[in-house]
This record gives sequence, C-alpha cells and structure tokens, in this order.
Amino acid sequence: MTTDAPGHLAIRGLTKRYGGFTAVDGLDLDVARGELLAFLGPSGCGKTTSLRMVAGLVPASGGRIVVGGRDLTGVPTHRRDMGLMFQSYALFPHLSVARNVAFGLEMRGIGRAEREARVREAIALVRLTGKEEHRPAQLSGGQQQRVALARALVIRPQILLLDEPLSNLDAKLRDEMRVEIREIQQRLGITAIFVTHDQVEALTMCDKVAVMNGGRLEQLGTPLDLYERPATPFVARFVGRINQFRARAAGGTVSLGEARITGAGPAEGPVEVMIRPHRIALSPVSAPAETSDAPLNTVAGTVARTTFAGDVLHYEVAVGDAMLCVEEATRSHAGPVAPGTPVRLSWRPDDTLLFAAAA
Amino acid sequence: MTAALAVPPPDMPNPRRLPAGPALLAAIVAVNLLGFVAPVLNLLRLSFLKVDAIGTLRQSFDLSSWRAILTDGFYAELLVDSVRTCALITGLTLVLSYPIALLIHRCRGTVRTLLLVLVITPLLTSAVVRTYGWVALLYDQGLVNGVLMALGMSAPLRLMFNTVGVVIGLTEILMPYMILSLLAGFGRLDPRCEEAATTLGASPLRTFLRVVLPLTLPGIALGCLLTFVLALSSFITPKLLGGGRVFLLATEIYDQAMVTLNWPLAAALSIVILAMFGLALVLYGRLVRKIG
Repeated sequence: MTTDAPGHLAIRGLTKRYGGFTAVDGLDLDVARGELLAFLGPSGCGKTTSLRMVAGLVPASGGRIVVGGRDLTGVPTHRRDMGLMFQSYALFPHLSVARNVAFGLEMRGIGRAEREARVREAIALVRLTGKEEHRPAQLSGGQQQRVALARALVIRPQILLLDEPLSNLDAKLRDEMRVEIREIQQRLGITAIFVTHDQVEALTMCDKVAVMNGGRLEQLGTPLDLYERPATPFVARFVGRINQFRARAAGGTVSLGEARITGAGPAEGPVEVMIRPHRIALSPVSAPAETSDAPLNTVAGTVARTTFAGDVLHYEVAVGDAMLCVEEATRSHAGPVAPGTPVRLSWRPDDTLLFAAAA
Repeated sequence: MTAALAVPPPDMPNPRRLPAGPALLAAIVAVNLLGFVAPVLNLLRLSFLKVDAIGTLRQSFDLSSWRAILTDGFYAELLVDSVRTCALITGLTLVLSYPIALLIHRCRGTVRTLLLVLVITPLLTSAVVRTYGWVALLYDQGLVNGVLMALGMSAPLRLMFNTVGVVIGLTEILMPYMILSLLAGFGRLDPRCEEAATTLGASPLRTFLRVVLPLTLPGIALGCLLTFVLALSSFITPKLLGGGRVFLLATEIYDQAMVTLNWPLAAALSIVILAMFGLALVLYGRLVRKIG
C-alpha cells in the first residue's frame, strides 16, 4: 500500500487523554484514496473524538495524522484541507445557501467567476438548484443536510469527514441520503470517514468499517468480514442481532439442551456461544429432517413466543434452559408456528461463533 | 341532570373564557397609563409653564424654556457633548464586555454559573457606593496615582473631576448590563458554526469577522442600546466623578430641578432626553430588522 498517495489517510497511534481518562487509545488505521470508512461504535467509544482529531478541532495527545504523505498532526484546522459535515449541519444562519457554499472558496481567495461556477456546480450536485438565495432556516432538514454536503465538497477537500450526518433525519430521508452521499462520494472518488452508531449505515454505505469500543479499535474490516467473521464478542453483538449464551467447550463441542453442537472457535474451556437468529431454521418435529451436504447442528426445543412482524416471524424457542431467538421470513403458504409447539432447530456449524470467555 | 346544566351548548360562547385576555391586558395598560404616560404628559405640560426667580410656578402658557433650549448655544453644546460622551462610554463598555460575554457563552456548568455571579454581583451594590469606590481609586492621592507616583511620576494624573473620571466610572458601572445583554443576544452563535468556518479554511481572525461578529450583532445592538440609554440618564456618577465640571444632560436636569428650581426648563430637558431615547430605539429597531 502506498501511504504517500494523494488522498491517502494514515492514522498512527492516535491517542486522546482527558486528565486520567483515555478517550482514544492508540488508533492505527489507513483509509485508501477514494475509500469510505466508517467509525462505528456506541456513544462514548471515541469515534467522534477521533474524527475531530483528524479534522484538527481537538488536539491529539499522541500519534500522527498523515494525508498523502504530509504530516498534519500539528497543522491548524484551517490549513488541513478537510471538509467536515456536522451532525447539526452548522450552516451559517446569516448567509444564503449560495454564500454558505461559497464560504470555503472565499477563504481560499478564489476569483469570483470560478467561485460562482463551482458554487453552481456544487448546488446542482446536491440537487438544490433554485434554492441559492434561501436562508438555511427556510429549508427542510434534508435540504440543510445537502447544503452542508455541498459546502464541504465545493472546496475539493482531500478528505471528507462526516460526523453522524444522518442522525437528525427521519427514517425515509435517511435512506435517501444514504444512497445519495455514497453515490456522490464514489463519483468524486473522495476519501471519506463516516462516524455513526448505526450499524446499518456502516454496513450499507461503507467500504470498510472500524468498530470502536472504549477508545480502542475492536476490528477493522469490510462489512462482510464484520458480520461473518467478527473478531471479538463485542463486534458480534454490535453488528447485527445475535443469540448469545455461555457454555463450556469440550472436545470441540458444546452442549445445548440435550444435544451437542459444533462451531468455529476454541475447542476447550469456557466459551461465549453466538448464533445469528436468521441463520437458524425452524421446523416442526413431525416434518422430515432437513438435508444438507454438511452435518448440521440440530437441537430440539419448544416455541415459547411467536411475534409476527410482517416480513419476518420472530420466535423465542426454549432449548433446555437456554432461550434462542429465531427469525424466519414469512411465507404465504405457511402460517406462524404456534407457541407450545415442539420444534427442531438446525443450522450450519460455521454459523456458530465461539469466543473464549473468562472462567 | 346537574352535569347536563353545567355544560353550555357548543354554539354559545363560554362566558368564563371570553374577557380573560382583555382583562389581563387592562391591568398592565392601567399601570402604564398611571405610572408612565400620565407623568410624561405632566412633564410636557410643566415645560410650558412660567417660573419666577424663587421657583414658584405660574399657571400660564410660556415658551421661554423651549426657546432657551432651541436658541441658547449652551444647550445645543450640552446635547452634543452628552451624546458624544455617552457614545464613547457605550463603545468602551462594548469593547471591554464583549470578550467576557464570549467567554461566559462558551463556558458550561459551574464555571459559567460562577462567572455569571461575578458579573451580577456589582449590580447588588448601589451605583453611589461603586462611584465612591472609584473616587478612592482615582483621586490625586488615590491608589492609581499612588502607584504611578511610586513608579516615578512627578505629578498625579487628573483622573477625576473631568470627563476621564466620568467615562471610567460609568463604563465600569454599566458593564454588567452590557455583558448580560450581549449574552441574551448570543443565542444564534453555535460553536459548531465557528468550527465549520475553520474547517472551510477560515483563520481565527476571519472566523471572528465573518461568523462570530455577524451572529452576535443582535446582542451588540441590544447591549449598546441599553448602555447608551443608561449612560445618558445617569447623573450620580457624573456628578460625583465630574465634580461639577462635567456638564451632561442628566446632571443639568438635576441642577435645574433641585438647585435653580427651574422646573419648566428641567421638564423640557427631560423631554429632550426622552426624545433621544426614542431615537436610539428607532435606530435599534432598524438595525435588528436589517439583521433579520
């Protein structure tokens, strides 16, 4: 990987301490040119602090930030050439849409003709042509969001930083903006960091996701990596929904109810067992056993609760003294299985994640 | 049956709700009429009365007070001097208060509360006491001159009984009002906007000029209006620190009313000051509308 390429962001040992509290602890990662990387984690995990350190709004206690081979660690924000889109938009309320977008160009001393052309282009990019003379207060939340995006992009920054940009929008608009931001980012080929606590945003929009917890990087990988091969129980729990219980592994198997199941992970000792609800198939005991090319984990249980949610059915199934959640897509030809029905649960051993647990 | 009687038919106006608004308004209208409009009208009437040498009012229409104000150069000069001095005080108060207000606006929690208490505490002391405090600091053998002389200055600076003393005293006395007004008008100033400006390439100075200053203009306008009006109408501090050598509209009104016993002239000058307030208010209104 050429870390000196323009638009390449390298973060090395980035640390932020507030007195005795360490908000970000030795963050190391690379974002390749044109890549969209998500900082994903619960609130207080250090993701926003990390972003603000990259932007220079918060001084780092340690570590380096290098963009295109240039060390920016001590460079003040206004000379870093990064576009930042704020959660609260932070538009200038006293300036029109056009003047908001033009602000960064004026600061760079770009001549009037070019400035106007680029402002027009940026406003067209976010589909706000015709709103140039409006004040931010006259626009809807989604439109303000677009002005903020245009304002951050018009300066053609080396890095685009997005701080929870969608969390103030309603669900429908959020879906639209998700697609729109991703499309614009890819079209411009701009390197970007996206801070979010919403795993759906991280998985659907980003090339890579950095899952953070307690100021540390838990895992850096593609959305598929995180979902299928979580490195830690935290990542498994945080990304997607998951069944989880404690057990003791012996000889590569774990007992669940009256059966023994196999999975990927440590063969001996106390373990955390995790299985995604929608990877479990549920069938009445009377039905013929499912056939598969690989041996399946199969356990017997009793449906304790059935919840119909339109597109999916949620079951809670008692297996021994454990309670497993199972999700199935609804089908027109088969109704929900009623509570109290004895059922058979089966899933592939690969879908059983085992993590070593403290005894 | 009683329940049915208690509910009025829907198309009949609820007799208990109807007069509440006007009744509540009537109280404040009455207070204003009695406490403000009537005295001002009385003042206006007074300014057209005749007065004799020992201060006895004659109930006859007379224009001599207004003629004096409009033709005697002394009063024109007094008006210009007063406005100029008060504008200077307002400007100084603004420059000294703005950084403090900005600091308080950015502080949170206990620090903010503590700073606000520090700002408000002087308001709990009377302006007379605070003025005497300034006398102790500014007179020829006072603290300031004492330090300056000890450092090798040959003669004390005249810091009192002149405009300098009045400006120093009033500036300090009016600062809490300015700071509180500024804070009240800083609502639109979001720290995120400042951050946005810096990420867009604005240096700290340009961020201040292009974002902070425009967003705090409402506070500046409010603070300047209030400070100017308070400066123009204060007379204790100018009297004590001016030592009878600084002539301002308010001190002149006091002298005419209490020393010369020329109530019609004092009344006419009061109307002039009131007109100045009106003018300041109109300017403020225009500015606020322009900031929009």
